This record gives sequence, C-alpha cells and structure tokens, in this order.
Amino acid sequence: MRETWHLFTYLWRAERRSQHGLVGLALFAITTTYAAYQVVRGRPDPTTWNALAWVMLLFTAVNGVSRTLEEDRPEVLAYLKTVVNPVHFLVARTLHNSAVLSGLSCLLTALMGLLMGWGTLDGPRLWGFLGGMALTSLALGTTLTLIALIAARAGAGFGMTAVLGLPLVLPVVLVSTSLGSDLMHGVLVSDTWHNFAFLGALATGSGTLGVVLFPYLWRA
Amino acid sequence: MSKPLTPSSPALGVRLIRAFGVVLLGYVLVMTFSVPLGPGIVDVRVSPGEESGRKTTFNLDIEGHNTHFTETYPLVFLKRGEHFVVVRDLESLDDQHLAGRVALDKFVPALSWDVFVNSPVDGTMSFANGFFAQGLTTSAKAKSPDNNAVLNRLSDADLGFHFPFQPNIMETIRNLMLHVPMWFTMFLLMGISFAQSIRSLGAKGTLEHDMKALASVKTGMWFGVLGLLTGSLWAKFTWGAWWVDDPQLNGAFVTVMVYAGYLVLRSSVKDEALRTRLAAVYNLFGFCLLVVLLMVLPRFTESLHPGKGGNPAFSSYDLDSALRAVFYPAVLGWMILGTWMYAKTLHLERMRATLAESRLQRATKAGLPFAALTASTWSDPLTNDGKMGVVVGVAIIIGLGLGIWSLVHARESKALNQENERTA
Repeated sequence: MRETWHLFTYLWRAERRSQHGLVGLALFAITTTYAAYQVVRGRPDPTTWNALAWVMLLFTAVNGVSRTLEEDRPEVLAYLKTVVNPVHFLVARTLHNSAVLSGLSCLLTALMGLLMGWGTLDGPRLWGFLGGMALTSLALGTTLTLIALIAARAGAGFGMTAVLGLPLVLPVVLVSTSLGSDLMHGVLVSDTWHNFAFLGALATGSGTLGVVLFPYLWRA
Repeated sequence: MSKPLTPSSPALGVRLIRAFGVVLLGYVLVMTFSVPLGPGIVDVRVSPGEESGRKTTFNLDIEGHNTHFTETYPLVFLKRGEHFVVVRDLESLDDQHLAGRVALDKFVPALSWDVFVNSPVDGTMSFANGFFAQGLTTSAKAKSPDNNAVLNRLSDADLGFHFPFQPNIMETIRNLMLHVPMWFTMFLLMGISFAQSIRSLGAKGTLEHDMKALASVKTGMWFGVLGLLTGSLWAKFTWGAWWVDDPQLNGAFVTVMVYAGYLVLRSSVKDEALRTRLAAVYNLFGFCLLVVLLMVLPRFTESLHPGKGGNPAFSSYDLDSALRAVFYPAVLGWMILGTWMYAKTLHLERMRATLAESRLQRATKAGLPFAALTASTWSDPLTNDGKMGVVVGVAIIIGLGLGIWSLVHARESKALNQENERTA
C-alpha cells in the first residue's frame, strides 16, 4: 500500500518534471475537440454528440496510455525491477493513467459543452455522464495500461498498443456508448445503473487479470 | 539440431478417432443436402376486396415451397384466436401455387388473420398475418360460422424424416450444420490455446507449450474467418445485408481481430522466452474478455442472431429431432477435423522451430474470392428455390477455405521438408 502510494506520487513528480507530457495530452484533447467542432459546425444532434464524445475519449486514452512507453526507459525499468513489487507497480501505473484520463475526460466534456452545447444533458444526467466517463477512464486505464506494458516489452511503439488494445477495449466502449446514449435520450440515471455496474465489473475484471498476469511480464 | 524431423505416425486410437470424424462429416454432408425440407408457405397475396351485396370477396394467391397442391385439394382457412374462416373456390395452378376466394361480412371479428393450409400430404402449414381484410370493420359481435367445418376436417400427414420449414430461413436452415460448427470448432481450438498458454507461463512451461498455443490459434483463425464469411452470406439472404450491427457479429469480428493481434505481437518479438510470456499474457487476457464479449454482453442486448437477446429463432428447433440428429454429429465431426488440422499445423511449427528459429514466419497470402460474390447479379440464383443456393454458397466457401488451407499447408510442408533434408 505504502509502496503503491510512493510509486503513484513518483509518477506525478516525473510527470511534472517532463512538462511536455500532460500539457501535450491536454493540447491533443483540445485540438481534437476543436477539429470535431469545425467538422460538425454548430450543435450536433444527441447521437452525434454522444459518438464524438466517446470516440475522442478513446483516442485520447490510447494516446495517453502509450506514453507509458517513452517514460519507461530501460535503465529506469532495470532499477525499478530491483526495488519494486510488480503488482504495486502495475496498480500505481493504472491509477495514475486512470486519474489522468478522468481529468482529460472532464476537460473534453467541458470543452464540448462550451463549443457544441451539452446536447440534452442537464442537472443529474450531466453528473451521471461525467461519472460514466470517470468509470470508463478507470476501465480503459486498467486494460490499456497492461496492453501498453506488453507493447513496451515487445519493443514496439504506439501502433502496437492500438492494434492490441482497441479490440480488447471494445466491451468497455459498447457499454459506455449505450450508457451515454441512454442519458442523452432522457433516461434517468437510476434507470441505467446496470451500465455503471457493467463498467465497474469490466474494470474490476481486467484489473484482477492484470494483477494475476503482470508478474509474468516483469520477470527478466 | 540437425536431426531430421519425420512426421511421427499417430497412435491407433488417434487414427480411429480421425476415421470416425471423417465418417461423421461424410454422414453430415450427405444428410445436409439430401434430407428434404418440410413443406411451407412462402407468400400469400391478397387482392383488394370486391363488394357484392352484403359480402366482400377477396382473392388469395398462396405460394408454397415443397408443397403438393395438385395431389389433393387442401383445406385452406384463416384463423385468429378462436375464429375460423374457410377459403373456398380453390384452384391449384401447380404444386406450388394455389388460388382461392374468401367472402366476408362487413363486420368481422378481426382484420388481420393467419393463413393455414392443411392437407393429408403436407400436414398443416401456416403463414402468420398473411391476410388483412382491407376496408372492413371489426366488431366483437361478428360471427365466425366456419369453426366446425375446419376443426372436423383437419388431417394429419406423415412427412417422414425432414428438416422443419421456417419462413424466410427456408432451405438455409441446412447451414446450421455448416456455419455454426465453425464457431464451436474455433472455440475449442482457442480453448486449447488458452490452456497451453497457462501451462507455458507455469514453472514447467516450455517452448513446446508456446508452439501448441500458436498452432491452435493459427488453426482456429481459419475457422473464425470461415465462420465470418459463411455467416455474412447467410445474413445477406435472411436479414438483407452482408453485415448488420449486432452484438454477436461484433463479438465474432473482434474475436478474429484479437487473435490477429496475437499473431502480430508474436511476429514483432525475436527473443523466444520473452515472446512466449508476452504472447501468453495477451492470449489469456484476450480470451477472458472474449468470453465476456461473446457470452455475457450479447445476452443483455437485442440481437437478430438466434439464441441471443430477444430472438428465439432456433430455440424451438433445438429440440427438433431431425436437426439434432445431424447437428450434433456435425459439431463433433468438424471438431475432430479441426484438431486434426491443429496436429498438422503443430508438426510444421515444430519443424520450423527445429530448422530456423530466427527466420521470419511467412504470411499466408491466401485470400478468399469474397468480393466476387458481392455483385448483386448473384442474388437471383441464390434466392430461387427456397434459398437453396445460399446453402451451396456456404458449403463452397467452407470447401474453398479448407482447400486453400490444405494448399498452404502442403506448400509450407514441402518447403520445410526440403530444408529439413538439406540440413540432415
């Protein structure tokens, strides 16, 4: 627990030191939103709004998580391997990635609201949508972190994370889009709770799998 | 490592099982194409009503499939709940076409009726909501005088061993023996791969387990791709599109993508020990998510695909003894063939590992001539004759696929054998 917390704060400090990391991601999210705004021109209908929001979150997620690759230089990894428990490392990385993704999803939603309106979301359903985005960030974070670590070990780059990861996050995407479309079409948060439960279950399931499998990747 | 590898001849038990599989598949193919389909109604056309006095007369044209309208005059009637109306003035144009007339009062118990045809030769056939009494009015008091005339004259028929007729699906119900076992076989092979991946991660894991996992994924991919292609052809002629947005179909597509990713991942790592671990971890992770994607999520969503969501299409036929008598042997036969292909692929993998560990795997250049089938001019011959052409098309795709597999296999086998002899 202590070690996980240390690693988690270490990752934040590393993030702050590298400077271009988080800012670059935020810029990516902003430009993507602006490009989408330029394409749809004005207020899109609820279905389009929903599709845009999730596609942009997905792309930002793949982009953001693949940064794991460049940060984990061989020397750093070799050092970490001697002092750190692999499960703690994975948990810290996953939490870090999920936290970054949650922040970015809030940024995306805020920007979309600013440029294209909220669609039909208001009050509790907007908060429900943001909650769904945070849960989705957690589920995407757990799956994509493991995949990015596999890709990093394979010595392959960003493309490999996308090839291996996109099919595997499809269950998450299916559930979260149906959650978003429910909320967009006026379904109450309490009537679409099963989608939240699915997202939580998917995050828990892939997290557990990651914890079981990651030590095998860690071995030299 | 210069010891030449020769194919070890399999044990007697294995050979017997394979022979049994071949016999099963022979039985299945013969039965799939020779068992007759039960008779049924394909279409009912109703002319606008003609008023004469208090009655309105409608002309009905009934089109059947595998029916025998000229042999005996069938009993044709409309049914809605407890109400019956007999169709009179029957005239059979040929075995498949029947014309008749029905006269109704201005007030009827219902407007939409199911059309039934009953004869001693064909038994009872129905066409749901085949008759709509355009222009009449419903009334709760309206009489239906024909109840006794219908119920006393119904006759049973002995159709013999036949597959059940289902509107729209028609002859393509035979694809149950061809398309569905592709997925069963793929799941078996991916299951083998899953088990071997677990063993390769264990303390006693060796490269042998990794090779087994790879060989079963490679073989399973063939069945997955054949399942996608045959399913696509079947979908075109039952749902009207080559591909529909459906959880089961998406799941199947993603399955193939995940295992394609598995092969890409393997090809990008040179170091054997590292490759074994990376591939195994990805394989285990992928398989678990696939179970969620294919077994869990589709049950919570609406789906066109039989057995999932709100569509019961095949559930009533799961108990049909004729389909079962061919379907179970089909699943077993295709699975035996799949494991046989797996054993042959595994032999090549062993040779490949023995001969040259660092050599890049050659990608199979095989592709199916699928695009040629998309020309719309193909639809007519395929849909004639109760869509029997779709079954033939599905069988041809599977045959082509297996043919290409054996060509690819023979070519790789030949090349590896030549190199094997040179190094020996």
